[in-house]
Amino acid sequence: MSDKKQRDGEIQRPACPKAAAKNAPCAKSNSPTNGGEAEGKFNRRALLVGGATLAAAGAIGLPIARRLLAERSPVFLASNQSYSGNLASTIESGLHETGFDFNWIRGRKVLLKPNMVEPTRDAPHMTTHPAMVVAAADVFLKHGAEVTVGEAPGHVRDTEMALAESGIGDALRSERLKFADMNYQDVKQTSNRGHHSGLPHFFFPQAVAEADLVVSMPKLKTHHWVGMTAAMKNLYGTLPGIKYGWPKNVLHYNGIPQTVVDINSSCGRTIGIVDGIDCMEGDGPIMGSRKHMGLVAIGTSLPALDATLARVIGLDPTKINYLQFASEKLGPIEDWQIDQRGERWQAVASPFEILDLDFLQYLRADGVLVT
Amino acid sequence: MDWIPTALDFLSDCVGPGYAPGTAAATEPTALAALALTAHGRALDADKQLRALQSWQTTDGSLGVTEKEPHPQWPTTLAVIAWTKASTNPALFQTSIGDAVNWLLQQQGETIPPRADNIGHDTMLVGWPWVQGTHSWLEPTAFALLALKAAGKSDHPRAREAAKLLADRLLPEGGCNYGNTFILGQQLRPHVQPTGLVMLALADEHIDDDRVAASLEFLNRELPKQRSAASYAYAAMGLAAHRHAQTQADESQLDELATRALEEEAPLRLALLLLAVSGANNPLYPSCVPSGGKQKATEQ
Repeated sequence: MSDKKQRDGEIQRPACPKAAAKNAPCAKSNSPTNGGEAEGKFNRRALLVGGATLAAAGAIGLPIARRLLAERSPVFLASNQSYSGNLASTIESGLHETGFDFNWIRGRKVLLKPNMVEPTRDAPHMTTHPAMVVAAADVFLKHGAEVTVGEAPGHVRDTEMALAESGIGDALRSERLKFADMNYQDVKQTSNRGHHSGLPHFFFPQAVAEADLVVSMPKLKTHHWVGMTAAMKNLYGTLPGIKYGWPKNVLHYNGIPQTVVDINSSCGRTIGIVDGIDCMEGDGPIMGSRKHMGLVAIGTSLPALDATLARVIGLDPTKINYLQFASEKLGPIEDWQIDQRGERWQAVASPFEILDLDFLQYLRADGVLVT
Repeated sequence: MDWIPTALDFLSDCVGPGYAPGTAAATEPTALAALALTAHGRALDADKQLRALQSWQTTDGSLGVTEKEPHPQWPTTLAVIAWTKASTNPALFQTSIGDAVNWLLQQQGETIPPRADNIGHDTMLVGWPWVQGTHSWLEPTAFALLALKAAGKSDHPRAREAAKLLADRLLPEGGCNYGNTFILGQQLRPHVQPTGLVMLALADEHIDDDRVAASLEFLNRELPKQRSAASYAYAAMGLAAHRHAQTQADESQLDELATRALEEEAPLRLALLLLAVSGANNPLYPSCVPSGGKQKATEQ
């Protein structure tokens, strides 16, 4: 279903259910997902539910109708992971489990987007570990993709420094991987397809504009303004500093939750591979403390992936604004809509400390007591 | 320092460089290339860069980030510095400088009513933003202060307020970052590049504040550890502008940074390294007299 149709309130069954979510298109339509068994089960269920919903739509309203039509998405969690382990094997398994179509990726351009917001060797738990980036690159290269690693660090103008401090620069040189300094690349103007903020368009750097698939590779962290940051918020780093500043204050002025969803709606196809091994709790995303979780999380729907991680760290995703907004169009966040692969989130959940501020404590899932 | 002639030749041959090979001509690397060429006695080559900048100036006096992108216009400040301090014939650029300064003085950062505990700095100081309609940040404000000084407007109220803003956002133990000190009660970390630039902009100010000395000490401690050209260069320039004792860099450190910048054909990094090793001739130092004689922007 196109954004326009959704905006116009037209309910129309898409030819492929996955096409309803732009970031998880279907296998037969140029898609990175393979339309596996889970999707097939969903299709039948969705048709039944959808038929009933269509009949009742006039009475119960379009938002509820959309909600009932919403798809299910798989999210993969692997525990007991370490940076010295076989992360490539974990990532490849996770992608298979979430229905990623490796045939689709052959010959296509993949952009791996780690988080290098303001790297320092004093706080390696702030930024994506180089081992995660190299492992993901190995997997996509093995399946014939053309891989570039790219980032537009949000708080530092000196990208060479960010590469050095994060350790990612040395890792990329060692593996002969290409890096795109997205803070300074030429840009392409793209319409804002999210329409939550007042921004009419975005300027994406060349590496994003040309990518067939953007792989968000964040560090799992708390965030002192919006609760948490993972795969969706990480895409702030797809926008260039020369157009948005350091920090990207244009986005803050237009609302963090709103712009997170708008960027995710506009930047093309995405999946997420999350570094949840050494995470950040407390005063994230910069000054928080290390919390070891040993997790790798993978999803083809970033809202579903982030919602699952919110549950893992003890937050209620339905209270996090950008996930609420995302659930309207981009992907599901309700637990019943998410097919868990690998570990169940309940088995690996460990509430993160968050700042003792009312607007953050409100985000706690019911019954979770951690300050 | 065998890399210096090669780097100068590279910048001379590349009129209107972008940030990287194959990218659009950009204002910041072009302005800094002009300054670096002049600092090393290649003023005629610098003039080509200055004329390129002139050709990108829009009717309102500003310059965009690249030749193709007229917004945002934060690098206008760098063009002013280059035109005033890197030209053999500043008269050629007087109108451009005047128009650019006039534009600059019309721009301002958004102020934020003070909020207890949330934000540590004085959010009512105006300064300059990266992008119009947003808050002021340290690097654009430092560039603006340097531009106003270069244009003979050191005493302008906006310049005085800019100096106050830069000092206000220094961290208690010295150094600064992009422009936040405390957020939600938590002190943030200092970063080398903005600290170097802010120290450069404050070099001829008389600020009675221990944080300035602490910032210079921070730069001196960090300088030998730097593995990036821009942070190294700004740290070295910030220290040198204050005539602060400077831990001598290992020459191999500089060679490695320059070699990598040459391999990657990175004009901005090369220009910054050339400026960092240009000694007293560095036209970025507020006290440095322009090569063409001290000049003032057209009075507005």
